[in-house]
Amino acid sequence: MFSDETLDAIEFKSSWKKERRVRDSSTQTSEIITNDVAAQSIDRHEIEVQTDEVYEKATPYRFVNDKSQELKDFLERVEPMLHEQLEKNLHSHAFDGYDVNWHEETKTVTCVHTLSHADLEPGLNVTGLSWNSTGSTVAVSYGRFDHEDWCTHKSLLCTWNVDRKNINPKKADVAVDVSSCLMCVAFHPEVPAFIAGGTFNGEVQLWDLSQPDNPFLASSGIEDDSHRDPVSRVVWVLDPEGKGKNKYKLVSISGDGKILVWQASPQTKEIKLLDGFLLLAESMPRSMRKGRLRPDAEMGVTAISYTHEDKTLFVVGSEGGGVFKCSMNSSDRVAATHIQLSVPLKNPVSFAFTPHVGPVYAVECSPYHRNLFLTCGIDQTARVYSMLQAKPVLELEPAAGYIFSARWSPVRPSVFAVVTGEGQLLIYDLVVHKVNPVCTLEAGSDKKPVYTLEFNLHNRQLLATGDELGDVRVWQLNDDLTIQDPGEETVLADLADSALE
Amino acid sequence: MSEVEEMLKRIQGHKGVIGIIVVNSEGIPIRTTLDNSTTVQYAGLIHNLSNKARSVVRDIDPQNDLTFLRIRSKKHEIMVAPDKEYILICIQNPSDN
Repeated sequence: MFSDETLDAIEFKSSWKKERRVRDSSTQTSEIITNDVAAQSIDRHEIEVQTDEVYEKATPYRFVNDKSQELKDFLERVEPMLHEQLEKNLHSHAFDGYDVNWHEETKTVTCVHTLSHADLEPGLNVTGLSWNSTGSTVAVSYGRFDHEDWCTHKSLLCTWNVDRKNINPKKADVAVDVSSCLMCVAFHPEVPAFIAGGTFNGEVQLWDLSQPDNPFLASSGIEDDSHRDPVSRVVWVLDPEGKGKNKYKLVSISGDGKILVWQASPQTKEIKLLDGFLLLAESMPRSMRKGRLRPDAEMGVTAISYTHEDKTLFVVGSEGGGVFKCSMNSSDRVAATHIQLSVPLKNPVSFAFTPHVGPVYAVECSPYHRNLFLTCGIDQTARVYSMLQAKPVLELEPAAGYIFSARWSPVRPSVFAVVTGEGQLLIYDLVVHKVNPVCTLEAGSDKKPVYTLEFNLHNRQLLATGDELGDVRVWQLNDDLTIQDPGEETVLADLADSALE
Repeated sequence: MSEVEEMLKRIQGHKGVIGIIVVNSEGIPIRTTLDNSTTVQYAGLIHNLSNKARSVVRDIDPQNDLTFLRIRSKKHEIMVAPDKEYILICIQNPSDN
């Protein structure tokens, strides 16, 4: 059944290993070329050169001493003629009532320029205006009054030279970008290119517009030593003790109740806090104080004006409607507050006037009477107060909406102008009428509110207004509003005296 | 007192006379009754004006010449008596009665 069998052996050749094939090849990188070069730093030489100082000899002025006979002869010749003429002159009526009219008479108030900046972010209002010291340039600050939270607007400071022949009403001569809304501007009273402004962030800034590439000079920053609320106004004030470059001080007011005095001069390019005041709710007359307001709460300052005779005396208007007489010399330190500044804050108030109902938008002291000042506010009234009594001596209700600004004419003692929420510019002349305006003009585009108004101190015929749509109008006033009548100041004096009766 | 001073004093004695200045042909003041800066200003300006006025008169008619110049302003009357060597300037306020 079983048998032996021999099977043939089968050979497998390994097939997974192969003999390697070798091939020769060669590679070569391209030759690296090196170059040698010598380098050497520069030797510098400095040398000082100085010309000799030239001393200008101040020669005292001397008249020529002439005792010659010719002089005597000359005088003898002309003396009789001169005697005769002098005598004739005294008795002559040739020029009685004679008056030369050198300038063209204007009867109407006309709008000579309507200025707007084309690159302006839409929705920005004109928040402030200022004429420079030569009266040729008007500066405009753009911003908004209706912030609900952080200000992220791209604001501008623009200027137009209205004396220029080819003025471009659609584009400003100078436009400076500002990072947040600019709420007010004020040109330096003597240096034409130097301007200060206050922003919504509470910064007080300085620019030199004669440097078009980099006009920015200095800023107060957003630090402890600055405002914490929008700056509502900046003004330059003549410092009675200041000399030379510190002749003027800058005063800024803000919604945080602080009135800060700064040293800022065109030369030093810095801004330094000198003094500070704080307006407190306790200054409000007791009858007008709202029940829940703490007496040590601060009150927002919305308007300020210095008297023309005494530069330590000023009037402020507050957000709550209060109107106060204040003094720079106050030493009444505000006790404990949560506000920490490098200068002690003082309470400046020395007298409280009858308040407005709601925010005061402008106050201005009369340039012609030391006791009178003008105020206006959201309660639609414009008032003239006397420093000597709490109640206003004159109250006007033009019934044209909120009154956003009021200014005295710099040339006519009895003339002042106001701008209203219904877009009107009203000019009052107390000589003509105590209640009705002598001039009513549509100053706002599409009857939009007009926020600011500024007379030109140098060119007395010009007046600028700025409205909600960002348009600035420059008005040319007529002769009636720019030429002062003799005895006009007595009208103002009578008004002031009516306070004392 | 010299005769010159006396004459000036007589002129000054008239009603309303504010000041008298005598200027030489170069425009330099010789005598004055006003303060220095006012004198210098008047002397320079009136000297120029009177030269100009004289050339106007002579340009129109070469035979003619300027004898007297009066400038009436709102506030004053300025009288100028010119001469080859000197100019006498007298400022008067004629309404000052």
